[in-house]
Amino acid sequence: MIILYYVKITIKLVILEMEEKMKKLDKIIVASFVIIAIVLGITFKFAFNKDYDNKYIEIYVKGQLYKKVSINDNKVKEEIDIKTDLGENIVQIENGGVRIVDADCPDKVCVKDGFKDKVGNVLVCLPHKVVIQIKGQSSENEVDEVSQ
Amino acid sequence: MNKTKKLTLISLLVAQGLVLYMFERMLPLPFITPGAKLGLSNIVTLVALYMFSFKEVLLIVILRVILSTLFGGSLSSFLYSIAGGLLSFVAMYFVKKLGQDNVSTIGISMIGAVSHNIGQIIVAALVIQNAMIVTYLPILMVAAIGTGFFVGITSKYLLPYIKRIYG
Repeated sequence: MIILYYVKITIKLVILEMEEKMKKLDKIIVASFVIIAIVLGITFKFAFNKDYDNKYIEIYVKGQLYKKVSINDNKVKEEIDIKTDLGENIVQIENGGVRIVDADCPDKVCVKDGFKDKVGNVLVCLPHKVVIQIKGQSSENEVDEVSQ
Repeated sequence: MNKTKKLTLISLLVAQGLVLYMFERMLPLPFITPGAKLGLSNIVTLVALYMFSFKEVLLIVILRVILSTLFGGSLSSFLYSIAGGLLSFVAMYFVKKLGQDNVSTIGISMIGAVSHNIGQIIVAALVIQNAMIVTYLPILMVAAIGTGFFVGITSKYLLPYIKRIYG
């Protein structure tokens, strides 16, 4: 209860601060950032969120295609070992999605990024220059709809 | 402000930026999104922006980035830091110039935070040669509003004290 009380006071102080200290242009900046973020977020979400019959991942290393693997929902667990001169990443495919389970880079941001299963999602390992991209193919037109 | 005083204050600000950078590295990542940081070193750039001219702040930013790379970074992290640092500094400088009295440190630091993210994303997209990393930008922008707000408030309370000492 006491913690809740402190949280309440903090929020009140922040609101007070916002009303008193922020000037006209500050408010415009905040509003435009929120709007741009929402618009961009929605655009990215809908641009890639169609129905796809066939999902597959493309693994890029240093900008070049390393491997292409299909990841449809009924697939059993599969592990891919990406070994390059920069390091090693272990990718696991299950339930129509993909995750990086282990990497020998120092920060392991890609491992923390977790499980991805939507078309258009990306997993990135910056130190090893590894990019995993989920792509989709619909049956109506056999053309890949995700452009780079 | 005479030359010696200026030199001292510039070195002090660089040192403070370094300490904040090291301190931030020790904190566990507060956000789930990769790339999101508190941006504490931005406090130093912001304070410097209110006290020095374009050239001197540029010197502070570049010195801070080089030294922080020496203290705990690699060549690739230097590329990200310098791109983010320079872009955010230039953006903040112009917003401050154009905004004059209509803009406070809060708005400027938010602009700085977002342009820092944009600079880093551009470099990352060039390094991995894949433009899809831009999809991180909306989440990073929302995070930048929060971190920019608190960095702005901190600088706002800090400025009168520094100005009283060195003004």
